[in-house]
Amino acid sequence: MLKGAVDMPDLIRMENIIKNYGPVQALSGVDLSVGEKEIVGLLGDNGAGKSTLIKVLSGAVPISSGKIFVRGQEVTIKSTTDAIGHGIETIYQDSALVTQLSIARNLFLGREPYKGPAFLGRLDEEMMNAVASDLLRKVGISKNIPPTTPIGALSGGERQAVAIARAMHFDSDLIILDEPTNNLGVAETQGVLNFIRGARESGHSCIFIAHNIHHVFQVVDRIIVMRRGRVVADDIRPGNSTVEQVERVITGMDEHVPV
Amino acid sequence: MNKRTHLSNLIARPEFGPLILLVLVIVVFGTLNPNFLSPLNISNTLTFTVELGLIALAMTMLMTSGEFDLSVGSVFGFTPVLMWTMVNSAGLPLELGFIIAMVAAMGIGLFSGLFVTKLKIPSFLVTLGMLLVVRGVALVVTDGFPQRTWDSQDHWLSNLLVGDFRLGGFRIYASLFWFVGIALLMHYVLTKTKAGNWIQAAGGNPDAARARGVLVDRTKVWLFILSSSMAALAGVISSIRTSAANPNSGSGYELEVIAMVVIGGTVLTGGRGSIIGTVLGVLILRVMRNGIVLVGVPGLAYNIFIGAIILGMMALHSSLERRHVERGR
Ligand SMILES: Nc1ncnc2c1ncn2[C@@H]1O[C@H](COP(=O)(O)OP(=O)(O)O)[C@@H](O)[C@H]1O
Ligand SMILES: [Mg+2]
Repeated sequence: MLKGAVDMPDLIRMENIIKNYGPVQALSGVDLSVGEKEIVGLLGDNGAGKSTLIKVLSGAVPISSGKIFVRGQEVTIKSTTDAIGHGIETIYQDSALVTQLSIARNLFLGREPYKGPAFLGRLDEEMMNAVASDLLRKVGISKNIPPTTPIGALSGGERQAVAIARAMHFDSDLIILDEPTNNLGVAETQGVLNFIRGARESGHSCIFIAHNIHHVFQVVDRIIVMRRGRVVADDIRPGNSTVEQVERVITGMDEHVPV
Repeated sequence: MNKRTHLSNLIARPEFGPLILLVLVIVVFGTLNPNFLSPLNISNTLTFTVELGLIALAMTMLMTSGEFDLSVGSVFGFTPVLMWTMVNSAGLPLELGFIIAMVAAMGIGLFSGLFVTKLKIPSFLVTLGMLLVVRGVALVVTDGFPQRTWDSQDHWLSNLLVGDFRLGGFRIYASLFWFVGIALLMHYVLTKTKAGNWIQAAGGNPDAARARGVLVDRTKVWLFILSSSMAALAGVISSIRTSAANPNSGSGYELEVIAMVVIGGTVLTGGRGSIIGTVLGVLILRVMRNGIVLVGVPGLAYNIFIGAIILGMMALHSSLERRHVERGR
């Protein structure tokens, strides 16, 4: 269903990606693809290369060699701005928000709507606040948090939610979350998992990295496992396998999940 | 919203502390010496206050973007010297001399801005270097002597910049209107416009801002140009008003201006700035200087008070900041 369709290329395809940090080879020829509206879980032990892989996709580090395609078109991603331009948005633990600015202003940073003639440069704060309130409700943190609240006054989970809301609103095609549930409370974690489900429903794809395999099992369509800079399994379906089986693949005790 | 939340919002604002301090200072000096509130004294105090204030307004914008400019005092001294040299020696009309001097000042800002953003050298070092270079040029050009300034009182440009008139017992200079107008404009830009949003984002989290397509470097370069231009304008205004162009004037203004800005609640590290706070900070420091002299404290002790005010205000701002963050969690 994902690989067979000829007239419908994958949203993202990476071919033979190699990334060297000096003498350390963090990625040794990775092939990976993500389909449209697909939620992919990326698992692997510490040092497997997960973060490096998504840094490559998000423009944070350059690749040593390999090719990246977006909807079948080869692209070069040299900066975060390039990645965002190709519809790839990464949400880091310490998310890319300006703590001094309000939620609404962060949502619209760099894409500010004007009110009145453009030469006055006046922000349409009414519209920004209305859209922000709406988004906050969608991602489930509306409770008494006005959109004019500065990001600095929000909890870690709320900040993640704002970043995710921003990616969803501006129609990023692929939203990448690298360990978004670390350091979050139980309720906040459930919130983040809900946003990921919501992302699919609103037509986005997602790469979700987490240590907690149970969290991954709850939301993803497909699991990819990395070990020592390589993809060792890329078609594990949560419905057809167990957490224990996936753990054995991650640690290298099994090469594959038994079919 | 009810009255109580309005009141507590007002108190939580970073401008509230400076406002109270300003009122306090005026009441104390007004009580100690009745002359303090005389029209003559108020006019005299305001005259120079607005000249320094112009620099402080631009510095507020620059500091909100996370940079600052130590060369403003030198530019304040250099620009009128350059203008009068061209008028005196090259026989240029005043308008042309003014335009060329302003363009030169903008060039200084552009240069500092490019140095800071392209070579990634901290603005402390770049503008410290600029402070020395610009002051040095002013001294070399003039051999260290003040420039002759013909009496420009009736020139239309002088009238536009520093023309004065009497209102009751007050003597009011046009520069007061420039200060008020520019303060209103900058407050609007900083709080209501896209440019203001970019300035705050550039200072708050430049990497995040860049990732969203904010032109961080270009924003900062423009603010360096603005800061230099305002210092130049203030220098020219001051020089026409006093009929003097001294290559040494303006030394030390950079620190006084930065003190005014931080007292008003703008953060040295960027991300948050307040034009209202700066206007209060400017008034506090100038009123203090004037009042201390009037009540007979030796002028030499002035710095003790200023230093104490800066430290006290910083403690206040940081405790407000902490409370704000804790309440949010
Ligand atoms: N900036 C870096 N410089 C050198 N080596 C690095 C750097 N970042 C990661 N590595 C190395 O690359 C490998 C993969 O790391 P990483 O992608 O962070 O793994 P993961 O996110 O799966 O834990 C590790 O061996 C790590 O030490
Ligand atoms: Mg990692």
